[in-house]
Amino acid sequence: MTMTLRSVRRSIPHILLIGYLIATLYPFVFVLFSSIKSDNQAIASNPFGFPSSFHFENYYEAWVNAKISVYFFNSLYISTLCSIVTIIFSAMGAFAITRMRYLKISKGMYQFILIGLLIPGNALLLPMYKMLNDMVFFGHAVLGTHMALILPYTAGALPFTVIILSAFMRSIPGEIEEASVMDGLSAKGVFSKIILPITIPALVTVFIINFISNWNEFLLANFFISTDELRTLPVGMVGFRDIYNTNYAQMSAGIVFSIVPVMIIYAVLQKQIIEGLTAGGVKG
Amino acid sequence: MNKTLRSPWTYVLFLLPLLILYLMFFIYPMISAFTTAFMKWNGLTPPKFNGLTNFKHAFADSKFWESASNNGKFILFSVFVQVPVIIFFSLLISNVKKLKGLYKTAVFVPSVMSTAVIGILWSFIYEPDIGLFNQILTKIGLHPVMWLSDTSWAMFSILITNAWQWTGFYIVMVLAAILSIPREIDEAAIVDGASAFTRATRITVPLIMPIISVVIMLSISGAMKAADIIIVMTDGGPGGVTDVMATYLIKYGITNAKYGYGNSIGVLIFMFSLILTALYQVLIARRVERVEY
Repeated sequence: MTMTLRSVRRSIPHILLIGYLIATLYPFVFVLFSSIKSDNQAIASNPFGFPSSFHFENYYEAWVNAKISVYFFNSLYISTLCSIVTIIFSAMGAFAITRMRYLKISKGMYQFILIGLLIPGNALLLPMYKMLNDMVFFGHAVLGTHMALILPYTAGALPFTVIILSAFMRSIPGEIEEASVMDGLSAKGVFSKIILPITIPALVTVFIINFISNWNEFLLANFFISTDELRTLPVGMVGFRDIYNTNYAQMSAGIVFSIVPVMIIYAVLQKQIIEGLTAGGVKG
Repeated sequence: MNKTLRSPWTYVLFLLPLLILYLMFFIYPMISAFTTAFMKWNGLTPPKFNGLTNFKHAFADSKFWESASNNGKFILFSVFVQVPVIIFFSLLISNVKKLKGLYKTAVFVPSVMSTAVIGILWSFIYEPDIGLFNQILTKIGLHPVMWLSDTSWAMFSILITNAWQWTGFYIVMVLAAILSIPREIDEAAIVDGASAFTRATRITVPLIMPIISVVIMLSISGAMKAADIIIVMTDGGPGGVTDVMATYLIKYGITNAKYGYGNSIGVLIFMFSLILTALYQVLIARRVERVEY
């Protein structure tokens, strides 16, 4: 009797937690099931259950109609490029700030870059819009081209990245570079041959964080790009929804397409992602 | 040694790319927002200085206050509804022995997703005829609700979606803090005969106050940033009841090309965030002691 009572008490937390898990994950299951049902009628008559027949053509239709492949590759190359450039520039800056012998200037510089974290991004939307519209690149306004996303994405992640990398580089003992300077390395050599390789774990973490936030970015991508061919995945998906929102089966297939890559990345790298995101405390 | 790492040109060279981008995309837009906020400007013709007119206009505009109060609703909802839920589930996960890893991994999933895609997914869940929620309501004999187009439900529906997206993220943060508390503290309390509830409220929660403080701070800054979820789910509708300051700024600045007025809203967003942060630091964060084990 006491045994069963204890096991009941022990299972209460699990029951509550599984309830929470269902609330978290069921929306995904609902979309997944809906994506292989024949039409709205089939979804409405059986909203919760497993599909009675599989309609994978929804996926084909969504891939072709919505040009999800185009959006997907736009997002992929923009996110990758921006994240790489951000970490190169930030690592160089962090190296100068933490390892070179200009302590007073470096301290001021660090504080100056820290201000960037206090500035609410969307308060700067209009001046950026105006600036990119006035900037001309090979005879075209930058606004409306991929450069209008690449520049602000690269710049936007700098303050956070510099802070994380500086913290990491500060913890590297000074004897290491003293020895390498003795061996005749220049400042550039110390940076690229000694400090950068040691910093790789931190570089990987900030790369993943920046990649995810660039991949998910919506506001700038929505207002700075107007050509369908140049859209990124989040904006392309919204456009797709607005056009095909009468066909929920197809729309669900589109949602699955845009969720699966992130799910795969998360499944493989979940430890780094959780550590990185929660350490940085970045949101959205 | 000193010579190699003390060369002005090398120093500048290392900092230059970073500084150029930072000045271009943080400092210049910031200055530009603050100066054009005092101008009447459509973005094309030369701007005209008009003093505080834009700000007076904003303060007299009931739509602006409605959007600001929606930012307030985001904050209140996260502090008074989300935070207790976060603490409750973090405590639960920290206490179970089995499946801890599964819970931790699964609750985090929505926070790596794009807010835009989550907005689309939830618009489908809220869909009046075939969406999940109304299907449940009709199954249990209740009336369906027009989640996103009914003025009294729209904001609430967005808050629920936002909470769904971020609660797991904070649970993982709080959970990490709980798990870093040395076990001996808890074991000593068990020996003293403290119940699980007493241990949670008297020991664990006080020890994790600093991280809860961070969670609240992040929720406030997240609430001030919120815009994409609203644009995707309701675009401020119905009739502006779900507008927040950022979407209001976009409506004026980009859609109606009122750059001067739009920038004054931008400055107000900045000021409000600053005031909230300062108030929070003075009233709450200062009282939260840093705990050393």
